Amino acid sequence: MAMRGLTVFIADIRNCRVRELEEKRINKEMANIRTKFKDGSLSGYDKKKYVCKLLYMYILGWDIDFGHMEAVNLISSPKYSEKQIGYLGITLLMHENSDLVRLVVNSIRKDLDDNNEIHNCLALHAIANIGGREMAESLASDVHRLLVSPNSKSFVKKKAALTMLRLFRKHPDVIPAPDWAERITNIIDDYDLGVCLSVTSLVTALAQQYPEAFMLAIPKAIMRLHKVIVERDFSADYVYYKIPIPWLQVKLLRLLQYFPPTEDPNMSEMLHNVLQTIINNSQETPRNVQHNNAQNAILFEAINLAIHLDCESDIVRQATNILARFILSKETNVRYLGLETMAHLAAVTDELDEIKKHEETIILSLRDKDISVRRRGLDLLYSMCDVSNAKTIVSELIRYLHIADYALREEMVLKIAIMTEKYATEHSWYVDVILQLISSAGDHVGEEVWYRVVQIVTNHENLQEYSAKMVLHYMRSPHCHENMLKVGGYILGEYGHLIANLPGASPIEQFNTLHARFGLCSLATRALLLSTYIKFINLFPEIKGAILAVFNQYRHVLDAELQQRACEYMAIATMPTDDLLQTVCEEMPQFPERESALLSRLNEKTGQTEDKRTWNIGGKDSNEKTPANLLAAKERNENGSVDDLANSVSNTSISAAGGENGAAAPANGSPAPPTPAAPTAKTGLTWKDQLAPGYENWYNRLRDGADGILYEDSILQIGIKSEYHGHLGRLAIYFGNKTHTQLNSFAVSVESPEGLVVANSHTLATSIGPSTQIQQLYSLECQQIVTEVPLIRISYQAGSTQSIYLKLPVLMSRFIEPIQLSSADFFARWKQIGGAPREVQEIIKVPGRIELERARTILVNHRLGICENVDPKPGNFVATGVFNTSLSGKVGCLLRLEPNHESNMYRLTVRTTSDVVSKHLKEILHTALLSKPAPSTR
Amino acid sequence: MPINYVLLVSRQGKTRLAKWFTTLSPKEKSKIVKDVTQLVLARRTKMCNFLEYKDTKVIYRRYASLYFIAGVGPQDNELITLEIIHRYVEVLDRYFGNVSELDLIFNFERAYYMLDELLIAGEMQESSKIAVLKAINDHDAVEMEEANEEKNK
Repeated sequence: MAMRGLTVFIADIRNCRVRELEEKRINKEMANIRTKFKDGSLSGYDKKKYVCKLLYMYILGWDIDFGHMEAVNLISSPKYSEKQIGYLGITLLMHENSDLVRLVVNSIRKDLDDNNEIHNCLALHAIANIGGREMAESLASDVHRLLVSPNSKSFVKKKAALTMLRLFRKHPDVIPAPDWAERITNIIDDYDLGVCLSVTSLVTALAQQYPEAFMLAIPKAIMRLHKVIVERDFSADYVYYKIPIPWLQVKLLRLLQYFPPTEDPNMSEMLHNVLQTIINNSQETPRNVQHNNAQNAILFEAINLAIHLDCESDIVRQATNILARFILSKETNVRYLGLETMAHLAAVTDELDEIKKHEETIILSLRDKDISVRRRGLDLLYSMCDVSNAKTIVSELIRYLHIADYALREEMVLKIAIMTEKYATEHSWYVDVILQLISSAGDHVGEEVWYRVVQIVTNHENLQEYSAKMVLHYMRSPHCHENMLKVGGYILGEYGHLIANLPGASPIEQFNTLHARFGLCSLATRALLLSTYIKFINLFPEIKGAILAVFNQYRHVLDAELQQRACEYMAIATMPTDDLLQTVCEEMPQFPERESALLSRLNEKTGQTEDKRTWNIGGKDSNEKTPANLLAAKERNENGSVDDLANSVSNTSISAAGGENGAAAPANGSPAPPTPAAPTAKTGLTWKDQLAPGYENWYNRLRDGADGILYEDSILQIGIKSEYHGHLGRLAIYFGNKTHTQLNSFAVSVESPEGLVVANSHTLATSIGPSTQIQQLYSLECQQIVTEVPLIRISYQAGSTQSIYLKLPVLMSRFIEPIQLSSADFFARWKQIGGAPREVQEIIKVPGRIELERARTILVNHRLGICENVDPKPGNFVATGVFNTSLSGKVGCLLRLEPNHESNMYRLTVRTTSDVVSKHLKEILHTALLSKPAPSTR
Repeated sequence: MPINYVLLVSRQGKTRLAKWFTTLSPKEKSKIVKDVTQLVLARRTKMCNFLEYKDTKVIYRRYASLYFIAGVGPQDNELITLEIIHRYVEVLDRYFGNVSELDLIFNFERAYYMLDELLIAGEMQESSKIAVLKAINDHDAVEMEEANEEKNK
């Protein structure tokens, strides 16, 4: 009932004209409530009132970090009104992983067992709203009891059904659904339509997971539909604007789409009757909006079911006629849904002729004033595209691209590229369209698109000359986009010689066309063009002079990548013989056939959500891979590697990186842009708790910076190689499959500590063949002071999913650069830094005898420079280095290590300009000095 | 066909009610509220009641000064969701007698109770207006009784 204090408070807040006043009022109230709560002697009414005030503030968007306990207390109040506010409080303020959940579980169980149904309901609402694992585990069986017990009232049953649905969605393993299947499914027959509605929702979710166990739901759903729609048997309460319980009708029609068509002829007949009745009912358009919406909601769901059952049936033909009417409707909602449903039909049927009749209308929908409708139009055009109409649709889409919303363009470009590739009958058409796309859509062309062009041109010999000619033409237009330059650079570098005899395409003209834009483009593109130039030297020795001038100039640029390429290409080009040049610039081999990166990109965009999709946007073949058919798709993935072009490009650069100190070999295109390591899923257990047993054995050996084996078991061997330079580093990780079978679903992800950026250069293959090795290259950037090391998770399929968690030996000391200081300099700085906290000292007693050589090696391995003749006492070590970060600057590190041979102890003193670094560096060296001398790992 | 969230947003962009049926962090929630509010407020009349936000669909309808918004999955039935919203409005209307934004501000807890009677776990639990109102009135009766007992003491 009304609480005066609350009403006054809300009115006060509403009177606050500016946010500052509101904030002031809120803070005052919070302080007031805090003191009241501390007092502890509040009446139930007051507690309720204050919790309500907190909730109001919460709804306004203010952070509420107290009051949870008071809400929990209210739950166990004997008064309904207080209990209710208590429950509202915890459902709004608490989330499923809160520690307080434990406290409320018992109160909730008490209310579930209560004889008062109103209390049962409150408890069910709370479980459904919070639904954590703890609740699921301890309360699922109570919820089930309330659902199936014949003594439960209808309004309790409904809530129990949906509460169980929520628990199942969150924690499917807690619900023994197959065991409960029969009793739950039977409730679809309940005379109460509300109960039937709730249980149908529950069954829909369970049946997607356990279709076999819920087969019984098929006849039940059909009979219920028949009863409501054909026999018109329902209670008057449930009529919504002349339509009997539309929500139930829609639910049941959807449920049937998750099962294969029934084989029972009686059932089939009944269902046919149902669908036909729905279609017949829809011939007239009701005036009332709600009536019309409800009727159409059912109609669209019925059409979807009819398409699912048999997309060539008579019902579907009738439906197509209705849809044709709908896409011309004046009402935006109807146009939208008409296009959407037609896209469903186009996506699964072979018979596109009926739809193609409306091509013009559909193309016009791209110019609708509502973006929602335009999107549906685009989806439909994409779904209905085939060889016969591809040219029209693609050219319409390209025309539309110029005026399309920015939000739509990238998706459009992707779809156009896919359609063009899929339905091209003439090679020249493909090249024309793609190049036009790249030149006109500019920034909206994703990297995948031009990778794919390169891939296709390389694999089709008869395309090469034509594309070289066209690309040269496009690059001469005044508004040439950088992507065009990338394609152009690659294609001319490989196939420029095919057109060298044409007028306007002589070697020097090709070179000049490219080089005219060289200065204007990004570093990555310039790097790619340098590779093109070295290829030109091989193809056209006559222009070597002009190119060498460019290399010479770029030997001195600031960017390391460009500088390195320029230097190395210069060296290759000026060798006495051309042997190396020719080997390096050999024509690129064909790319292995693989799934188009474009498609995987698009599929990535349409992710899975809670309910399974019943169909996908796209032509028939994209629907053969719907969840039901995932297996076939998976097999295909395993045979051909699904990694995209970028992968193969940078694979070559890794092998070169090992030997050549990180230079990109001239044969490849631009280095693939590094993608940040996949974000890690937040699981209950942190990675650290799950490190592979015995990982320390390998890890400790690598702590000192060596390369070698990081992990090994009977299946997998993992090795690393690394190099560091300032705040940057590169880490190559090798994964070797030791078995004689293929390892599937192979995935690697890295969790890096804050301040350290770990990026992988390409997407790793998802499988490793028998007895083969794959590698992944990571680039490291130390941005701030890091005291943690990154963790890596490797998972693969071998019977079940296996996961290995390991630490990567990327210690802070890796980012130190050794320096040498003279005695005077050293002591000046030593004094400057001063004592604690920036000085850290420790006495270390080593096991066994002190070995000076070993101590020296440890310091050097941790990248410190040993300064000779600095310490007055010979035998003491003085070492210095600079720890580099890209964002937090540099930290000078000085240390002294004084051995005491008699007692086998060292005294280690570290002084750096940062107390964090001092402490951590000391710990690193401490561990290193204590560890057993490692056997040589190289 | 779960609804992921229901939002009531005023024309000025103030949230009047937010109900979540999925677990999200406060940060994610406020991002969705901000983005969706912006998208919906920018729509003109005559446009359809559906729009896309990331991988989800947003179904909304405006009633006087309030937008009622529901977020659903990409293949959920749009119209039926729209009518869930309408049913909610009807129930509110009947209970408060010609409901206004102010009713919802001062009696926000009632607005939540009614939504709970209509939707659990994002699914419709009861579509009958009579049944929903009866449940709410029963609760009110219990409260009234308690209040009277209090007075008589």
